[in-house]
Amino acid sequence: MPLFRKVLVANRGEIAVRVIRTCRVLGIPTVAVFSEADRTSRHVREADEAVAIGPAEARQSYLSIDNILAAARESGADAVHPGYGFLSQSGDFADAVRDAGLVFVGPPGDVHRRLGDKQASRRLMAAAGVPVVPGYDGDEQSDTRLLAEACAIGWPVMLKPSRGGGGKGMRVVRREEGFLDALAASRREARGAFGDDTMVLERFVERPRHVEVQVMADAHGRTVHLGERECSVQRRHQKVVEETPSPALTAAHREALCAAGVAAARAAGYVNAGTVEFLLSPDRAFFFLEMNTRLQVEHAVTEAVSGLDLVRLQLEVAAGRPLPFAQADVAPRGHALECRLYAEDPQNDDLPSPGRVLHLSEPEGPGIRVDSGLDAGSEVSVHYDPLLSKIITWGQDRPEAIERMRDALRRTVVLGVVSNLARLRAIVEHPAFAAGELHTGFIEEHLPELTPTPCPPLEAIAAAAAALSRRRTASAGARRSAPDPWANLGAWRMGDER
Amino acid sequence: MRLRCGDQSFDVEVRDARDGLEVRVAGRSFRFALEPVGPGVFVVREGARARTLHLARDGAAIHLSWGGVAYTLAEEREGARAARRHDPGALEAPMPGRVAAVRVTAGQRVAKGEELLVVEAMKMENALRAPRDGIVRAVHVLAGDAVAPGRPLVEIE
Repeated sequence: MPLFRKVLVANRGEIAVRVIRTCRVLGIPTVAVFSEADRTSRHVREADEAVAIGPAEARQSYLSIDNILAAARESGADAVHPGYGFLSQSGDFADAVRDAGLVFVGPPGDVHRRLGDKQASRRLMAAAGVPVVPGYDGDEQSDTRLLAEACAIGWPVMLKPSRGGGGKGMRVVRREEGFLDALAASRREARGAFGDDTMVLERFVERPRHVEVQVMADAHGRTVHLGERECSVQRRHQKVVEETPSPALTAAHREALCAAGVAAARAAGYVNAGTVEFLLSPDRAFFFLEMNTRLQVEHAVTEAVSGLDLVRLQLEVAAGRPLPFAQADVAPRGHALECRLYAEDPQNDDLPSPGRVLHLSEPEGPGIRVDSGLDAGSEVSVHYDPLLSKIITWGQDRPEAIERMRDALRRTVVLGVVSNLARLRAIVEHPAFAAGELHTGFIEEHLPELTPTPCPPLEAIAAAAAALSRRRTASAGARRSAPDPWANLGAWRMGDER
Repeated sequence: MRLRCGDQSFDVEVRDARDGLEVRVAGRSFRFALEPVGPGVFVVREGARARTLHLARDGAAIHLSWGGVAYTLAEEREGARAARRHDPGALEAPMPGRVAAVRVTAGQRVAKGEELLVVEAMKMENALRAPRDGIVRAVHVLAGDAVAPGRPLVEIE
């Protein structure tokens, strides 16, 4: 008896494909939803059925609760998996799904609201004895009050939208002079992204690491952790490389951190998969940052070392089943890394680089997993997140996981959109990365070594010219017979060989 | 043919040779045998050594991957204008997006690296910075404008 009759996946891209995969294994039919920009995307083709939910603009499609619920009704789905991003942390969405008589695969609306608000969650965690970064989480939000609080906290200060996520609207302010400008910019970004511009201030911890605890809680009172992940390699508050276990922690530190993660989840009345994020200072003190009330982008590294399918556990818990194991049964093995391939240009200040994927080759091999929503021909749209795919490697130990990652990245080819692939390679090949000397400013600190050179070596230019001249001769021949279906892709037909 | 990469231009000459192709570029000569193995994928033999080239073109843009690194070249067509005049003081929209904020006005002195305007794309605000020191000659956009790639935004002299 499958857990659900039919699951609607309220997302797009690699995570929609990822969720569909587990549903397929469990024998649960799936419904994809898509905007007009995604009508031929991979998630649409991998689902059993797909329903259009509006134009490319996310507000009118992937962020439209009405359109998604209409798609659920039309297709007869009885559960909704939100993925990450979009509506995944919206309490209103979770409530609306429940009110429509469907199961929301995630915690209930009030838990999202409690934790989705940095102000409220900081207060909740402090009350539960989970350490928080010294800062200001008060209701008074005037410029003068915030400036006064920032001065009282001491510079540098971190500005955070209370409703935020994904680093949007976050800023470090180093001096009093720049504070009000930074505040205005953060508020503008927060209003645009989250519809709310309440700010929390925190002391900025220099050279911190970002560590987080994966928790899983069922509706029968059992809460377990699945170990930690370190996500210190970031750019503009966006995670780039993640791993588990963290190379910074001893067994005793790990135990204390994971226990704090479980305590945080219990304090919040948490149900389903969630992640408690902490900041780890250079002296190994840790502070609660926020709790993400959804599956994380980087969940696959936890899957790699635990052998568990987190999406499966999410579906089981959502169906009311108890967790099928206890804390003592969780026995992680080996080391796992994840690299996020983004459509961003490392030579151009990491600006997003939309376009069409003309050519794609994804790596495979022992200990390599690729979670991707891409195809050759995919349009990387300006409307959505620039994440293209995730490359995950597992090894018996950290050096083996790194070796496999180097190899996997060397064999990854994405042409047509500019990506951060060369940057990822430079990171995992960097001696400081190999030594585990990580902090959230890692990329900025090593930027010159991590910025690829724009021009290929002469031999590559020569090889490209040779290929182009061959192609020209060949397509002249092809034009006489039939139109070349590959012509627009700039590709080559083997039959054209002379 | 002439291939351009950023400010550098390469004149490349490709000739049939006895056992493949001879390619001359920047005073060097390569002897390649090329075998296509799939759409956009070639095995390039140089003596006993075989390497893989991935190549796709999009108009004049040539995208290639060599040794696991992706690059983009531009082909300059025979008879076309020599190197496109590129005004180093002109700032163009690097991607489609919406202007979220304009930080400068015409006549203002700016330093290299100074934030000129903010373009929102892919849900992020991206600061566009002055490519060099100078005086803002013109600002072509207003906050709220939608911009396409290549659209001139700010000119600096």
